[in-house]
Amino acid sequence: MSESLKQRLKSTFKDVQVAALKDNRMSVTAQGASVPAILMFLKDAGFDHLALISAVDYIEDNEFEVCYILTCYMQGQDSEGQDLHIILKTRISREGPNFQTVIGIYPNAEPYERELHELFGISFKGHPRLTPLFLERDYKIPPFRKDFDTRKYVKDTFDNIPFV
Amino acid sequence: MDRNQIAKWLEAPAKMANKYSLHAVYFCTGCGIIEVPPVITSRWDAERFGVIPVATPRQANLFLITGYVSVKTLRAIIRTYEQMYEPKYTVGFGSCPINGGMYWDSYNTIKHLDKYIPIDGWIAGCMPRPEAIFIAVTHLWTLIDKDMANGYTRYRESYRFYRRNQEMALGKLEWPPLFATGNKSVIDERQAVRSQQ
Repeated sequence: MSESLKQRLKSTFKDVQVAALKDNRMSVTAQGASVPAILMFLKDAGFDHLALISAVDYIEDNEFEVCYILTCYMQGQDSEGQDLHIILKTRISREGPNFQTVIGIYPNAEPYERELHELFGISFKGHPRLTPLFLERDYKIPPFRKDFDTRKYVKDTFDNIPFV
Repeated sequence: MDRNQIAKWLEAPAKMANKYSLHAVYFCTGCGIIEVPPVITSRWDAERFGVIPVATPRQANLFLITGYVSVKTLRAIIRTYEQMYEPKYTVGFGSCPINGGMYWDSYNTIKHLDKYIPIDGWIAGCMPRPEAIFIAVTHLWTLIDKDMANGYTRYRESYRFYRRNQEMALGKLEWPPLFATGNKSVIDERQAVRSQQ
């Protein structure tokens, strides 16, 4: 893993924890407010590909963890000359979850953020269209949250439809 | 031509012609569609059995539903099925259309496909081998011989119930009913029957 990138990240941003998961895998944990700045920093460092935005529901902590997974599109072409994958994690509150969009930095974040809005109910401030993407039906609780009871939902909707 | 079948050909030529010209609509659902390319190409050449994929549902009379059906796919399946001309035969392929399979508690997957469109036969398995498609086709021939592959007539007769189930799953449908459903809604009629009893 890239030692100099780790040092640069730690010196530029205050409350950032950097850890090596494996060879070529780096995990960066940050506060929500500094996420756009870190993403911009990493994009300048050569990580030009946002592979995925995902979320994890930590229901015991009453928090969502939003993860940004970054890679270099051109292998070995980043400023460190390494093939490195970075996962940037941040925690946001589970009550009325709200976060800022990163479309300005990575334009391909748009469908990922729409997906998170639909499946986790996280709304992204500044996103141009948070309209339904995959789902056809209305769900009271977004279906990827831990407190969504799939079996009860299946019993109440699909099992109630009679056979012909 | 098989000499043993001459009597059948003379008796019901249309049925026999239908039997040996199954045109499958090339509709890709779920993971089962991965079995279809080897089936229709030289490895397991489905044309030996008279099965050939066609481009549009308007030219097809066999509908293979090859895998799990999400709610969004159900809409496309109903529209495709209604565009096919009669006689049309439907075969559910794999365990997911039968009862949900491994998606039995999924929030967005249809569990029993035969609640929404009539199914003439099932191929069980996850995944069924390509040979299973040929077993299904030969079974379908037997069913057609015995007039038991009557899904399309069942669809006509109980269209109101199918339409009601479709609306329960999908909400309001944006296309008009294919057949007359009568003025009364089905649920009202059932309640009237119950109150008479």
